[in-house]
Amino acid sequence: MATGGEPDPNTSAILDWLGDSISFIPPFLRDPYESPAIDEIDRQLWDPFEEQNHDHLNNIPNTTTITPTNSTPQPSPPLPAPPSEQQSKLSKKRKQNQPNTQTTNSSDGDNTEEIEETKRKPKKPNSKANNGVGNCGNGCGTNKDSRWAEQLLLPCATAIDAGDLSRVQHLLYVLHEVASLTGDANHRLAWHGLQSLTHHLALNTVTAKTASASTFTSMDPSAFRAAIFKFNEVSPWFAFPNSLANSAILQTLGGGDLRRRSLHIVDIGVSHGVQWPTLLEALTRRPGGPPSLVRLTIVSAAPTEPFAAAPAGYDSSSHLLRYAKSIDLNLEISRIDTLPAALDRETLATSADETLIVCAQFRLHHLNHFPDDERTAFLQSVADLSPRLVVVSENDGDCGGSGCGCGGRGFARGFGARTEYMWGFLDSTSAAYKGRDSGERRAVEEEAAAEVEVGMWEREEGWRWRLEGVGMEGVGFGEEAVETARGMLRKYDSGWEMRAEERERGIVRLCWKGRRISFCSLWTMTITPRQQLGAVDGGVLLGQAGAVTGRRK
Amino acid sequence: MIDYNPSIQYSPPPDSEAHPTNKAGEDDAKGLRLVHLLMGAAEALADPGNDSRDLAKVILVRLKELASARGPTNMERLASHFADALHSLLDSSSHKHNNPDKDLLLHHPSEVAAAFQLLQDMSPCVKFGHFTANQAILEAVARERRVHIVDYDIMEGVQWASLMQALVSSASPPPHLRITAVTRAGSAAARRSSIGTVQETGRRLAAFAASIGQPFSFAQCRLDADEGFRPSSVRVSKGEAVIVNCMLHLPHRARGDSVGSFMAGARSLGPRLVTLVEEEEEVSGGAFVGRFMESLRHFSALYDSLEAGFPMQGHARALVERVFLGPRIAGAVARMYRGGGGGGWGEWMAKEGFGRVEFSFFNYCQAKLLLGLFNDGYRVAEAAPNKLVLGWKSQRLLSASVWAAPAVVDVSPPVSSTSGADFDFFN
Repeated sequence: MATGGEPDPNTSAILDWLGDSISFIPPFLRDPYESPAIDEIDRQLWDPFEEQNHDHLNNIPNTTTITPTNSTPQPSPPLPAPPSEQQSKLSKKRKQNQPNTQTTNSSDGDNTEEIEETKRKPKKPNSKANNGVGNCGNGCGTNKDSRWAEQLLLPCATAIDAGDLSRVQHLLYVLHEVASLTGDANHRLAWHGLQSLTHHLALNTVTAKTASASTFTSMDPSAFRAAIFKFNEVSPWFAFPNSLANSAILQTLGGGDLRRRSLHIVDIGVSHGVQWPTLLEALTRRPGGPPSLVRLTIVSAAPTEPFAAAPAGYDSSSHLLRYAKSIDLNLEISRIDTLPAALDRETLATSADETLIVCAQFRLHHLNHFPDDERTAFLQSVADLSPRLVVVSENDGDCGGSGCGCGGRGFARGFGARTEYMWGFLDSTSAAYKGRDSGERRAVEEEAAAEVEVGMWEREEGWRWRLEGVGMEGVGFGEEAVETARGMLRKYDSGWEMRAEERERGIVRLCWKGRRISFCSLWTMTITPRQQLGAVDGGVLLGQAGAVTGRRK
Repeated sequence: MIDYNPSIQYSPPPDSEAHPTNKAGEDDAKGLRLVHLLMGAAEALADPGNDSRDLAKVILVRLKELASARGPTNMERLASHFADALHSLLDSSSHKHNNPDKDLLLHHPSEVAAAFQLLQDMSPCVKFGHFTANQAILEAVARERRVHIVDYDIMEGVQWASLMQALVSSASPPPHLRITAVTRAGSAAARRSSIGTVQETGRRLAAFAASIGQPFSFAQCRLDADEGFRPSSVRVSKGEAVIVNCMLHLPHRARGDSVGSFMAGARSLGPRLVTLVEEEEEVSGGAFVGRFMESLRHFSALYDSLEAGFPMQGHARALVERVFLGPRIAGAVARMYRGGGGGGWGEWMAKEGFGRVEFSFFNYCQAKLLLGLFNDGYRVAEAAPNKLVLGWKSQRLLSASVWAAPAVVDVSPPVSSTSGADFDFFN
């Protein structure tokens, strides 16, 4: 006799949304999940504890569920793995960010209710360009150092790996509401992270390499120049390692007479010429006089190398040449269009009477390291040139390349590394630009967002392992180089810190709020039987070896 | 292959600006966004390490930007109340003494009265509870000479005017009716206002009884300062048929603390009948987020049912929502956040040995008749022989159940919901 209880097909508004909020799937999300690529998900990366948090979602019918197949064991790398703390770090991080499933029990067993009349801010028009979140200043009363954006981004990546579509969709919705290109660092991280997640979902690039293009290349050259100068002025992100590299070059030349020798610097960098005037000027002031010739071989970048790429009309060479002329320095600039697979003497047109220095800063991580190890092959070619000094500056992080298979097939692991990089960048730019928004700030932040998609970073330990493997050894930083760097760091935000404990091993680190951001390292050739036998020009090698030994005494 | 273009912003399909002309679609899209934000905030608050409090704050800030308690859409106003409820959880560490009377004190008495009248007119909920309970009482006391009703929350006493009329018309002479209203201790200010209201209610009821020739007396019984109920404070005369009446549905204020004590104590009064009306609003146990979403569903159904009946009276509904639903939502969310049991007293009574008293067919028909006066989305169903459920579409709103006191009176200490006992409500 009782009626009711049957679902009514004409349920009304709110109840519909509640149902929809679970089963509604944005069309742009459907395809990626229905394609076979999802089968490659590494299920082991997914933490089963995540699931309990959204049991209520699981009751809802019509949700597309994907059952990931168990992944096959990972092929072991062709070389012994470099020392890495990736695994432990990541698992630790995941634990920290794990949404918890327990209900909090408050000790004040007061069951009565309370309403708090909340003062509302004036309502903002709901426009995307200014969607309100940017207007709550620096964090809406939240802790300045809190990292709330990650608490949405990382679970979303985990849910992608787990094939938990409704969870992914839910987190995307929330992210979309709190993301802002103009808010504080967290809002910006949410924005860029959301971009990255939706690219991944829309393009189904579990394995395909994402060609993330530089935004620098589409900038007006003068605006680009202004942005670069401003960034170096307010942030030591690149300026600090650049300064260390310059000091190291001067230190390598020593005080001797160079009037009959030339200096040849191979610039594989991201400074767009900004690094060099300081060095050129310092060369004119050295006691032994400037080298008879300074050759700068600039390795340009393709648009697929963010931070290194430049707009078409931008020309640093003419600026540098004019400057060199003004200080009476003999400068020659030549270019190599893109980073080659290997350097050789022919391309560089090296000569016997030059001091060769290879300065590789924030570029080599674009070389593949898995499964083909282009990175070691390139470093071997550098070693084969027997340069007096090799400078390697790199981001000190785990590989985040979205197309790199080094960390297994899961999405979350690389995404976690990318988010880590991006947080360091955005948090430090927030301090650098003193919370103010500007086109110059956004230009570098967007470039960083492009960079993270392709940044196959490696920990400093990994680079050391590679460089030692091709027969190089660390060169200590001199006192003066370290002090110069320390001095220049003082003009930046106090969150920056130099760690020079390992300077005698040739490593100086740059940290932001206690976290390792980058390192600058110095290398030279060790004398091994292999190199002595294999060297074409034994005389040069022995001469250099003598110089090395002499300096180290 | 990918043209990375920073000028193109990510927009999910429900982006309101995608269809500026489609008002309904826009509202739908916004509703969906609000639901996701609410769930996100609840998830962030569920993190016991408090690591996600900042995330919760950020989401709540966004919610406040998007939703106002005076906003144009149902979902917006609902979301605003839920956001407020979640927001007060953020401040719960300050250990402010929660005072349910504060909710009503926030509103002007005339506002409360208007909202109450509107609620009565717009929704069958109020009358369904009162009529169903009254009919069960009438049937239980058919041949009694003295009827004593102990009423947990008398409010304005509207339930009893109709009972008196029925008593007068069904028996000659009508039995003597005594009503003992339970009043709360609360703060001094709240007590003044609360007892003032109860005294007025008593006077009003007495005047009404006199006008129709119903023998009537009125008494009050105050709860202890800790919300405890002492049965000895109710004066029961010999030969009285005691009825325990516990109305917990809208617009009654849910006062979780004292219900347990009242129900436990009511047993020792040896009641002929216990009438209970409660919201079907909470599932017991489980994680906070799941219960939160369930509560969102429940109140959504309430909002929807009000809107379906009175689509054009947005302002009136907003008033009802602010005065009655908002505080209820805040209470429900706070209770489930603490892991408290909340509603589900019927299940508790069954466990405690209260006997189920079957509803009469007449009572069931009367409820159906009542619903006929309102929108046809309402349903009444017999969930158990002694339990009628009022639903909106497929969602249960509230239930009325009738019980007999346990055969053996247990004098164990009163069970209070504050003890954190987990009752197995809807299994």
